[in-house]
Amino acid sequence: MLAEMEPPKGVDISVMMENASRVKGEIDAFVVPEMSNAVMRMSALGGALLLQKNGMDTVMQVCCRDRNRLALQADLLAAGASGVKHIMVVTGEDPGFGDHHQAKAVYDLTLLELLDAIEKMENGHDMSGIDLCGSPQFLVGSTVNAGLSAQALESELSEMNQKIKSGVDFFITPPLFDIASIKPFLSCVDLSKTPIIPTVLLLKSLGMARYMARNVKHVHIPDELVRRIQNAPDKARECVNIAAETVHAIKEHGFSGVCISTIGWEDKVPDILKNIS
Amino acid sequence: MIVADKKPIEEIIESVKEFKKILILGCNECVTVCEAGGKKEVGILASALRMFFLNQGKDVKIDEQTLERQCDHEYLEEIRDVVDQYEAILSLACGVGVQFTAEKYHSTPILPGVNTCFLGATEQRGLWTERCQACGSCILAFTGGICPVSRCAKRLLNGPCGGSSKGKCEISKDVDCAWQLIIDRLKALGKLDEYEKVQPIKNWSTDRAGGPRRVVREDVAL
Ligand code: SF4
Repeated sequence: MLAEMEPPKGVDISVMMENASRVKGEIDAFVVPEMSNAVMRMSALGGALLLQKNGMDTVMQVCCRDRNRLALQADLLAAGASGVKHIMVVTGEDPGFGDHHQAKAVYDLTLLELLDAIEKMENGHDMSGIDLCGSPQFLVGSTVNAGLSAQALESELSEMNQKIKSGVDFFITPPLFDIASIKPFLSCVDLSKTPIIPTVLLLKSLGMARYMARNVKHVHIPDELVRRIQNAPDKARECVNIAAETVHAIKEHGFSGVCISTIGWEDKVPDILKNIS
Repeated sequence: MIVADKKPIEEIIESVKEFKKILILGCNECVTVCEAGGKKEVGILASALRMFFLNQGKDVKIDEQTLERQCDHEYLEEIRDVVDQYEAILSLACGVGVQFTAEKYHSTPILPGVNTCFLGATEQRGLWTERCQACGSCILAFTGGICPVSRCAKRLLNGPCGGSSKGKCEISKDVDCAWQLIIDRLKALGKLDEYEKVQPIKNWSTDRAGGPRRVVREDVAL
């Protein structure tokens, strides 16, 4: 059981630490995003170290957008030496999506090159082949878009296989609301061999559900779910129930795990956990 | 101009060795000036390839043509009638020309015959140096007409780093320190007060950082 934990935009870590502490025993590790959507905030390394220091395991995101190969390797060494055991590699959204539009994106390494670098480091060398004094060891995750079909799915699967060959041990999917909607993906993947961890996103409102249903490609939100929120007297409560039910369904289905994402509503994670039947 | 350099002949051979009919397509503009992809270079490369294939005992037809420009629909039309005679076109134009040709002629592989390097000038015969990175928001007015974005190794915008020594950049004794050049020039222009002004943090979104760029001019659009 994973839960996403966004580090703060600022140095006040009290809310993050409190939210994490409340579910510490029930969550295996916290996924710490690296400035998701290119919005500037505390780095994943910083967030991960703070959580680790307080006895909580983390999955630290490593992102190609903001760092060149020197900085990426340097941070991986820092993470490895500080007890971060799981990482998740992502390409990162373009700065144009975030709150610093004028930033220069780095993209020195592509995702596959980063994976290659990680493998090299685990084998005791940096990207230039120079020996490391002690090598880090990570369980490496990445993303896979399970909501695709037809030709797009085919290329996603071949990319997934490439990632596996390059050392990826587990995959986290975009938000999943309806397992039936990813049938094409599931028919091609052996869940007992490839650890797939769907994301369960906490909808925050009817508006968000409607917006996502209409505008977010490859994420299927059934009409019936939107109606459920619409008809519920306490909409926030209903959204928590929906998230809990989705977690339950995913567990039943034999996935390797689930990653709860609440984007800013991390204080609702205990509620979701409590409601999983 | 766009400065290009020759590709190693081994790399070119590797890319064309399977083809029996090849057109080497030069460009009369920038790559002619930097002596990498004009009519003369088309001829030299064609001879080298003919010799290679002859040595291999292979009968390969290699033709030569040089267009006024490869970054213009109009001139690219000139090869429309002959394109189908070739299994591949080896373009000696810059990356723009290679792509524009490929966009026009879908079913023929268009291969690059040069490495496109930078926007620069001919400093002396046989020496081309970088002058511009097309960052999309020119600051030359404040820097005495010398561009630190393309000529300072660290792209510094407010004066030199600590590595500037005897007018040279810390990365190499062969590279002028852009900021030394800027300060000397501002001094000569009696505009050293420009140097005192602190440049704001640069907006890189007009550079390649903002994704593939385009210029839209409604005033000249048809
Ligand atoms: S020595 Fe001059 S050109 Fe080189 S990095 Fe420093 S300021 Fe830039």
